[in-house]
Amino acid sequence: MRTYQGDFVIDLPRQTVWEFVMDPQRVGPCVPDLLKLDVESETRFHTLVRVGVGPVRGKFNLTVEVAVTEPEESAELSVRGGGMGSRVDMKAKLNLSDTESGGTKLDWRCDAAISGPIASLGGRMIDNEARKITEKLFANLREALSSVSEQVAATSTETAEPESTD
Amino acid sequence: MAVRQTELRPLGKSVGRKEDPRFIRGKGRYIDDIVLPGMLYMCLVRSPYAHARIKSIDTSEAMQAPGVKLVITGEDLAAMNLAWMPTMANDQQMVLATGKVLYQYQEVAAVIAETREQAVDAAQLVYVDYEPLPVVVDPFKALEPDAPILREDREQKSNLIFHWEAGDKEATEELFRNAPVVVKQDVRFPRVHPSPLEPCGCIADYNTATGKLTWYVTSQAPHAHRTVLSLVSGLPEHQIRVISPDVGGGFGNKVPVYPGYVCAVVASLKLGRPVKWIETRTENTTSTGFARDYHMTAEIAAEEDGRVLALRVKTIADHGAFDAAADPSKFPAGLFSIVTGSYDFKEAFVEVDGVYTNKAPGGVAYRCSFRVTEAAYLIERVMDVLARRVGVDPAELRKRNFIRKEQFPYKSPTGWTYDSGDYEKTLALALEKIGYEELRKEQAEKRARGELMGIGISTFTEVVGAGPSHTFDIMGIKMFDSAQIRVHPTGKVIARLGVRHQGQGHETTFAQIIAQELGLSTDDVIVEEGDTDTAPYGLGTYASRSTPTAGGAAALCARRIREKAKKIAAHLLEVGEEDVVFDGVAFSAKGLASRTVTMKDIAFAAYTNVPEGMEPGLEATYYYDPPNLTFPHGAYIAVVDIDKGTGAVKVRRFLAVDDCGTVINPMIVEGQVHGGLTEGFAIAFMQDIPFDEDGNCLATNWMDYLVPTALDTPKWETDRTVTPSPHHPIGAKGVGESPNVGSPAAFVNAVVDALAPLGVEHIDMPIYPWKVWKILREHGVTE
Repeated sequence: MRTYQGDFVIDLPRQTVWEFVMDPQRVGPCVPDLLKLDVESETRFHTLVRVGVGPVRGKFNLTVEVAVTEPEESAELSVRGGGMGSRVDMKAKLNLSDTESGGTKLDWRCDAAISGPIASLGGRMIDNEARKITEKLFANLREALSSVSEQVAATSTETAEPESTD
Repeated sequence: MAVRQTELRPLGKSVGRKEDPRFIRGKGRYIDDIVLPGMLYMCLVRSPYAHARIKSIDTSEAMQAPGVKLVITGEDLAAMNLAWMPTMANDQQMVLATGKVLYQYQEVAAVIAETREQAVDAAQLVYVDYEPLPVVVDPFKALEPDAPILREDREQKSNLIFHWEAGDKEATEELFRNAPVVVKQDVRFPRVHPSPLEPCGCIADYNTATGKLTWYVTSQAPHAHRTVLSLVSGLPEHQIRVISPDVGGGFGNKVPVYPGYVCAVVASLKLGRPVKWIETRTENTTSTGFARDYHMTAEIAAEEDGRVLALRVKTIADHGAFDAAADPSKFPAGLFSIVTGSYDFKEAFVEVDGVYTNKAPGGVAYRCSFRVTEAAYLIERVMDVLARRVGVDPAELRKRNFIRKEQFPYKSPTGWTYDSGDYEKTLALALEKIGYEELRKEQAEKRARGELMGIGISTFTEVVGAGPSHTFDIMGIKMFDSAQIRVHPTGKVIARLGVRHQGQGHETTFAQIIAQELGLSTDDVIVEEGDTDTAPYGLGTYASRSTPTAGGAAALCARRIREKAKKIAAHLLEVGEEDVVFDGVAFSAKGLASRTVTMKDIAFAAYTNVPEGMEPGLEATYYYDPPNLTFPHGAYIAVVDIDKGTGAVKVRRFLAVDDCGTVINPMIVEGQVHGGLTEGFAIAFMQDIPFDEDGNCLATNWMDYLVPTALDTPKWETDRTVTPSPHHPIGAKGVGESPNVGSPAAFVNAVVDALAPLGVEHIDMPIYPWKVWKILREHGVTE
C-alpha cells in the first residue's frame, strides 16, 4: 500500500469548487493521458488512460465511483481497474475547507494498492511516476478551474513518502 | 589407420566435448527453434494479485480478437477434470485458477492464436474480476492461529503443510543438557531462482489421425514427464512421445510439470494442431521453480575444546501456495537431514515445518540434491560460529571434528550411510595450496592497520546420486537409471540413456565410459538422450545423479556387451572362453599376446560370424539401481577484502578442492566447478527474490534479479583429491552441484571473518554492499 497526499488552494468559493469536482464531465478531462471518458451516472464513470512506468506501457481501464461523505465538504472516490496484467485499487479522500481570503482549500489523500508487473517492475520508479501524474492532474484542474475564474491563487502539491514499500 | 592406445583408454582424460561444435556454432536445437506446420501459439493470462477471489472471467472479447482459436479457463479444465494436477510432493496444484488465485503471476487463463503476437495481444482482453483477499507472505505469520487459511481445498485447515523430523530427539536433548558449550544461530537461505538461460517451454502436437501426442519440452526428466502426462491426461503412455531437445540450462528448474505445459497439451488435444508455449523471462522468474527459502535455527552442543557433541536444527520452509517441491516422496524436506555434514556428531535432531504462503510454488533442487545446499550452508556457517565462541581457528576446529577416513562407511546420526571420504587430506591440500598460514599472518597485519580482510572455509559433504529405489521415489516412480548400447557391425556405437543433459557434457562423459569399457575410441560412440521413443526408461538429470546412476548403467551395460564379445572373441581366436583376456584395448588368447582381436573385429563377427547357436547382434540394456547414494566432498577457501568506504566485498582468491571420486573428464569436471562456483557466488552476493507485503514479487527480471557476468565473477582456482566410491561400478561420485552447495558458506564465512573484529557473528545472504556498509557505519567504521 502506498499513500500519497497533498493540498492546494483555489480562489473560488467552496460551492463552486465542489460543483466542479463532483461533475465527472468536467473533472474527467483533467485526468492526464485520458483516452476515453464514459460517464455512467453522477457517481460512477469509466476512463481509459494511457500509462507508462518504466518498460511497462499500455492502457488502463479504470472505474471511478464517488461517494459524498459530507455535501460540499468531503467525498470519497474509489478507483479500480487496470490493464496489461496489472491492477490498481485506490481509495481517495477529498476535503474542502474555506480559506480566510474566501477561497477554498482542497486536501486530498490517496491510498493506492498496485499489483502485477507495474508493482514489480516499477518498484523504484513508481513513486516518481505517481508524483508526475498527480502533479499533472492538479495542473489540469487548476487550468480548468481558472477558466471558471481567472483568479487562481498559488497552489501547492506534495507527494508523501510511501508508508511502506519494502 | 591404427587407433592410438591412449584414445582407447579415454577415462580420466580431458577429451574435447563432442557437443561443443554444435553449441559454439549456434547449431543447437532448442524448443523455440522448432517450428511445426500449422503451429499455434499460446500466451498465459496471469494474476496481478497474490491472493484474490475470482468473481468472474470474461473471455468474450479475447475470443473475438484477430487470430484467436481458443481461450481456456479453469472452468473449462474443470469440465475435463484437469483443473488440478498432482505435484511432485503429494499435494495438488491448480492448472488454471478456479475460485481464487494464491500467488502473483498465477496462471488464470490461456489464449491460443495463430501468432505469438496475437496471443499476447488477446491475453490483454481477458477480463478477470478479482476481489482482493488478505495476503500472507511471511511463513512465521502464516503459522499464527489467526492467519488467513490459504488452501481451502485442503482438509487440514491450517497453513502448515508438514512437520518432519529426523534423528534422535531424546538423546540429543540429553547431550545438550550436559554440554559445556552451546552455540545458537539463526540463518536464512533466501529465495533464489535457477534462472537458466533458456526459459521453460513446450510444443504439444496431437495427431488426430494416429492419436499420438508428440510433446517437445524443456525437460530434465522426459520419461518421468511422460508418465505423469499419461496419468493425468488418460492418454496411454505408448501414444505419448516426449522429446527433450537441446536444453539451455536446467539447474532443477526443468524438473517439475508446470501449468503452461498442461494447457498447451489440452489446447493441442482440443484443436488438433501443434501448440507452442514459450515463457518470457519474467514468467520464468516469477512462476517456475524457485529454490531455498529456508529459515533455519541451529544449535551445537560441544566440549570446551570445540569437539562437537550434538546438533539441533529447527527450520521453517516457505513452500509458497502449493507444495510442489521437488523431493523424493520419503523426504518431505529433501535430504536436509544431511545437515551434520562432514562432522562426527554423536547425536542430531532435525525438525522442518513446511508452510503455505502467497508466493509461487515449486521449490526445486537448484543445483542441489534436494535441500543439501541449505543443510551444507547451515552447518558450515554454524561451525564457524562455534569456532569463534571456543576460540579455535576454523580450520583446526574442522580437523578436530571430521569423520575419520577409517570410519567409512559412516552412519550419520540422522540415518545416512556415507560411502567413503578423506576429509583431512582434502582440507590439508586446500590449506597448503592457498597458503593458509601466510594468509592469516597477512590478515593480522592488515587488521593492525585497520583493514578488513577475511578468510572463509567450507568443508562440506554432498549427497548425490539419487537414488537407490529401496529408499527413493518421486510420485511413486522408483529412482534408478538406464543405458542401452548398440554396437553396429563396423564397431560404431549408439548409446541411449534415460537421463537428459542440459549442457553438462553427457555426450562426451558417457562416451568415455563406454569407450573405456569396450576398448573403443570416444569417436566411435554417439550418445543420445531425451527421446522417450528411443531411450530406455530413466529418471532424468538433476541432483548430480547422472554419473552416479546413468554412468553406472552405462558401465555395466558395456560390461554386458563385453561378456558377449568375449564369447565371440573365443570363437574367433579358436580358444576356450576362459582363455580369453581383455586388456582394455583388445581381446587375446591367454599366453598368446600376438593373437588378438579388437572390438571392431568382434562387432563385425557378431553380425556375420557368430558361433553356432549364438544369437547374432551386439547390444544390451541395463537398468542400474545403485545400492547407495554417493557422498562427494570438498574443502573450499575464500579470501576477501572489504572496502570500508562502500561496503563492497572483493573476492580476492577462491580455491575449491573437490573430491568426486573417479574423474571421467577433468576438463568437464573443472567446467562444472567453475559454473557452480559462479552460481554460489551469485547466491552469496547478488540474488534474492523478495516480496512486498501485498505479495508483489519484487525481482521479476534480470534487472532486479542479478546474474553475474564475467566482469563480476572472481577467478577460480581448483584442485582435487580422489576417493572413489566403493560401490559405484567405476568409482565416480558426481560433482555438478558440489560447488554450488559448498561455496556460499565459504563466501559468507570469509565476510564474517573480515568483520569479526567488530563483533559481527553472522550476516544473512545476499551480502549486498549496502548491508556491509550499514554494519560498518553502525560500528563506527568510516573512510
